[in-house]
Amino acid sequence: MLVGISLENKFTNTSKPKDCAEEMSALLMEVAAERCKRSYAKVFGYFAPRLRSYALKQMGNEALAMELVQDTMTNVWQKAHLFNAEKGSPSTWIFTIARNIRFDMLRKLQNRKEDICSDDLWPVLCEQTPDQNEVSLDQQVTLQQVGQLFNNLPDKQKAVIEAIYIDGKSQQEVADQLAIPLGTVKSRTRLALQRLKDMLEDHD
Amino acid sequence: MINYHPTDKQLRQFAEGNISSALALVVASHCDVCVQCQTKVDEVNSELASNIENIKAHTVTDPAFEKMLASITQLPVLDTPVQKSPCIELDGRFFDVPRPLQRFVKKTGNWSKLLGKVWQAPVDLGDSSMAHFIFMEKGGRVPEHTHRGTEFTLVVNGEFSDGLADYDSGDLIVMDDEHIHSPHSNADEGCLVFSIVDKPLQFTSGIARLLNPFSHLFFK
Ligand SMILES: [Zn+2]
Repeated sequence: MLVGISLENKFTNTSKPKDCAEEMSALLMEVAAERCKRSYAKVFGYFAPRLRSYALKQMGNEALAMELVQDTMTNVWQKAHLFNAEKGSPSTWIFTIARNIRFDMLRKLQNRKEDICSDDLWPVLCEQTPDQNEVSLDQQVTLQQVGQLFNNLPDKQKAVIEAIYIDGKSQQEVADQLAIPLGTVKSRTRLALQRLKDMLEDHD
Repeated sequence: MINYHPTDKQLRQFAEGNISSALALVVASHCDVCVQCQTKVDEVNSELASNIENIKAHTVTDPAFEKMLASITQLPVLDTPVQKSPCIELDGRFFDVPRPLQRFVKKTGNWSKLLGKVWQAPVDLGDSSMAHFIFMEKGGRVPEHTHRGTEFTLVVNGEFSDGLADYDSGDLIVMDDEHIHSPHSNADEGCLVFSIVDKPLQFTSGIARLLNPFSHLFFK
């Protein structure tokens, strides 16, 4: 079955970490795009033995260690499309998967009852959600109208609206700039737009 | 603006996964809205990952690995469904919650009046700790209390003060038996927080002391 796929580990510690990361990234992308078993075998050959050493230290038991390796590497195979090289190196991605699986394994072993799982805590393996909560103003509103009403907004809402609609910043940029959560920016925006709409309706 | 962050030690424990579920949940929720702490966690993650990379691993071909590789590559690709972001609703107002809390929105019970202008909705985490969304309307106040155990509070949306400090959306507050405080909100929009306690609160002043025998009912 495995003819032609050898478990060679040619990425030894002698190759520079950055080169190795680039090579592993490329391999993961081939796995994601082509389901390439040969590329996967190389990723596996590099990470599986290292993960086993890590897991042995963490779990103190060969069987559990191999279970952790298997679950981690299964996720790497099945969810390679979720790897994003812009967010971090392949080794960081794979470590965080292993860390999550270990967290769930340990809690199961301890018979913990809480319904909190690693997916809630560390969103390593989930797609980003698109924003469905945007509110937009109707086209007919004149700039002058808005300008007048804008001044009636509370200062905090004004700051957010100004940054987004006048300076053209994204909600995330505004959140970073004001050091407030993205959700707060969103709700302030929504609230402010709603207020503006209400005021416009009163205005008519 | 976020002023109250997890400690560096807590962030490291979070990155390592060596952390209690309750603390992990509020730290994760904080990091979801705090770029600064998320960056710190990312740094620890890559440090831990390079530790693994630098492990001296056997380069031998192990039959157990051959078998594992063969069985894994038999498996199909898994698509992860994109989840909708549920909001917390109270009186027609909708609040976004940090991603780690989103799955618990549907495990959140009905709102009930706790005291005066303070409302709470229980969140079922499935264990013995007590988790709630608590909403303080403008002028709402929780009577002064201390803690028999540990209380984690994450400000989801709004501002409140507790006699010790002023807090804003995203702040994470950890309190124990060394702290006495009385959370209240003077913000026009009120304040929504998520709170986990492992033991009932202990009220410390005035008539609220009468609540102590029943505090497990209030905060359960
Ligand atoms: Zn922070």
